[in-house]
Amino acid sequence: MPLNRFSSYETDGFFDEMFGLGDGSEPLDHYHRLVSRIAKLDGERMEAKQRQAASSFLEHGITFTVYGDDKGSERIFPFDLIPRVIPLTEWQLVEQGLSQRIIALNLFLNDVYHGAKIIKDGIIPREVVESSPHFRREMIGFDVPRDIYIHICGSDLIRDENGKYLVLEDNARCPSGVSYLLENRQIMKKAFPLTYRDMSVRPVEAYPELLLKTLEFLSPRQSGKPVCVLLTPGVYNSAYFEHTYLARQMGIEIVEGRDLITTDGFVYMRTTHGLVQVDVIYRRMDDEFLDPTFFNKDSLLGVSGLMDSYLRGNVSLANGIGTGVSDDKVTYAYVPEMIRYYLDQEPILDQVPTYLCWKEEDCKFVLENLPDLVVKPANESGGYGMLVGSASTQKQRMEFAQRIRASPRDYIAQPIVALSRHPTFCEGGIEGRHVDLRPFILYGEDVEIVPGGLTRVALEKGSLVVNSSQGGGSKDTWVLKD
Amino acid sequence: MLSRVADTLYWMSRFVERAEGVTRLVEIHRDTDLESDARSGDFGYWHSTLQSMCAKEQFEEDEMQGPDAFLLFSSQWNNSVINSINSARENARMVRDQLSEEIWVELNSLYHFLNSKNAILEYQNDESSFFRRIIRFSLVFQGLSDATIHHDEGWRFMSLGKYLERADLTSRVLDTLTLLGSDPSRLDLIRALRSCSAFSAYRKRYRGALTMHNVADFLLFSQDFPRSIRFSIRGVDAQLHEISGVPSGNFSNEAERLAGSALAQVNFSNIDSMIRSGLHNSIDDLQKNLMEVGQSIFETYVLLPFEIKSTSPLPLLQMQQQQ
Repeated sequence: MPLNRFSSYETDGFFDEMFGLGDGSEPLDHYHRLVSRIAKLDGERMEAKQRQAASSFLEHGITFTVYGDDKGSERIFPFDLIPRVIPLTEWQLVEQGLSQRIIALNLFLNDVYHGAKIIKDGIIPREVVESSPHFRREMIGFDVPRDIYIHICGSDLIRDENGKYLVLEDNARCPSGVSYLLENRQIMKKAFPLTYRDMSVRPVEAYPELLLKTLEFLSPRQSGKPVCVLLTPGVYNSAYFEHTYLARQMGIEIVEGRDLITTDGFVYMRTTHGLVQVDVIYRRMDDEFLDPTFFNKDSLLGVSGLMDSYLRGNVSLANGIGTGVSDDKVTYAYVPEMIRYYLDQEPILDQVPTYLCWKEEDCKFVLENLPDLVVKPANESGGYGMLVGSASTQKQRMEFAQRIRASPRDYIAQPIVALSRHPTFCEGGIEGRHVDLRPFILYGEDVEIVPGGLTRVALEKGSLVVNSSQGGGSKDTWVLKD
Repeated sequence: MLSRVADTLYWMSRFVERAEGVTRLVEIHRDTDLESDARSGDFGYWHSTLQSMCAKEQFEEDEMQGPDAFLLFSSQWNNSVINSINSARENARMVRDQLSEEIWVELNSLYHFLNSKNAILEYQNDESSFFRRIIRFSLVFQGLSDATIHHDEGWRFMSLGKYLERADLTSRVLDTLTLLGSDPSRLDLIRALRSCSAFSAYRKRYRGALTMHNVADFLLFSQDFPRSIRFSIRGVDAQLHEISGVPSGNFSNEAERLAGSALAQVNFSNIDSMIRSGLHNSIDDLQKNLMEVGQSIFETYVLLPFEIKSTSPLPLLQMQQQQ
């Protein structure tokens, strides 16, 4: 097959999503059709499609906000037109692995807030759990609705140099990005309609419906139609587009803290026809901001009395309070043990070996091997505050060593994984860029995962950081039907 | 619907209407300034326009070149066209779920255009295209509001905003005439009518000469011209009753009472009695009434009863931002 557009493509020894372990001359079977389509497109057509996509994002206001930048702070999330393709069997394995994981994480949360058997049995040290900044003592002994804490989870997957899927982290508080997954699909269907149809891609558009079903399942009032709302920090939040997008797709109200009021332990929203009782709140803000009378007193975003209503069982929250202890990067290291402990199963998905700096011997190892490791803060998100050893200067490593010594509990380190790459439309033609995958897992009556997820791509050459705030972009992800 | 959402839709719609109104004013003034009998040099009409928009001081402090650039592009004055569009878009962003995709795309595109370099370039090179773009946008916005979303409560709050803003703008145009100092000239009267897109409609009604008496009569009391003050207040009154479900002529809240009383005022008075009691003062009173209607809509539908008397800073702050 003549591969014009790919003729000079190099895999550079990385595992390539399109070419596997090969040298870039022969695509994997499930990519054949796509490759023959893209290979035929001349540069101008491709650029025109790319421009169209970008302007469509801007026009529709599909943007995110970059903090600390006051002019032009609304940006589009860069989008790459070459989709990632995942064959069905591969996806099924991922799906099973993620289901297993969210069930174990929930059992873990239920356990640590109800007697903590896992600690008593010596699987995970008490210090690790109780020193997590997101561990909420207030939740001890409280029964959350349906015993589910994490209803919406975004777990980040990467593939190593052999193409093996590994879990890199779980986002069990307020994972975001699902709106891009849904919008990317819309754009791709317009850009490559025939290829999309011919490849039999599994649809993703049911997500909002599944999410609403997950929320309604939590309602404390079982009679009538539950009143669900989406609570946003407001229009200046970086993910505000996503909040309105999801609310609109679900047909529920998007509320800010000032729209809600609590009386006698119930939560109401203020409407033009008076107060309406709220049953379920899909909150897109962290625990600390939810209720100024309970957590952060200076928070203007929250609702006074909300925690009281929650603890009385009059309103449900998704995700529950205190889930952050399970996505702490120190806790992460223990997830395989949790799976064995609670489910008596072997983990289906492996994860990245993790050194915990609070352990003396790990810390020593980390400090001695900084150039070969990635150091991450245990409780940050957005790719902030991390050190990629191989790309760091002596000075940066000294600084990190100091920080680690000062607060070892706050840092973990992992070997640098050679993330898989994916052909990506770049200025100089099609080149390989590192990617990860964030599937969105819903846990209500059943565990549901829309096929695929958000593929994030590090657009800068050689970069391993895919976060949108750090120059990352995204791709559509096509899980095939067979 | 959520009170905040109702409030936001109301303001979004007001800001769009305001942007259109101010654009029209600038367009007409620019055009009329070309006439040889225009009061050239002293910018009399521009000045009384600025005065009637309560913008005279701001204009003097502003660094913008000329009143046209100030009214269109000032970043300091809240009611400049660019700030109105920015506010409308900001409000729209908060209630995206209530709007159709088409409405959002129109508003968002205009926002991006006005905030790019191209806006000033287009104004400098081809001002009529610039004016047409904004006025067309507003008309498309209204058309889409009527044709692509539910005519439910949210839509009624949008209509409410539109009519109140129209009444307000028309009253300011009339006020401009009373502020001119001497008797308005023929050109001034034409300017006023055209600022309300009312010139040909007026011609149809009064075939004879242009007089201040007739122009004021028309802009204030026309039964069926959609930008007359009477027509606009009737729109406000009707929407308020649709929202509450209470029949017109009765009232169930302060907003309805005030709107009803303003409507009665324009229904049962005439131009002669208004001129007798001083046109400027009468218009002033009318504007005050309209402001009170706006305020009472906010108190009725957005604040909870116990919040109206309390001096809670949040709603007050919010209102200041909005107005």
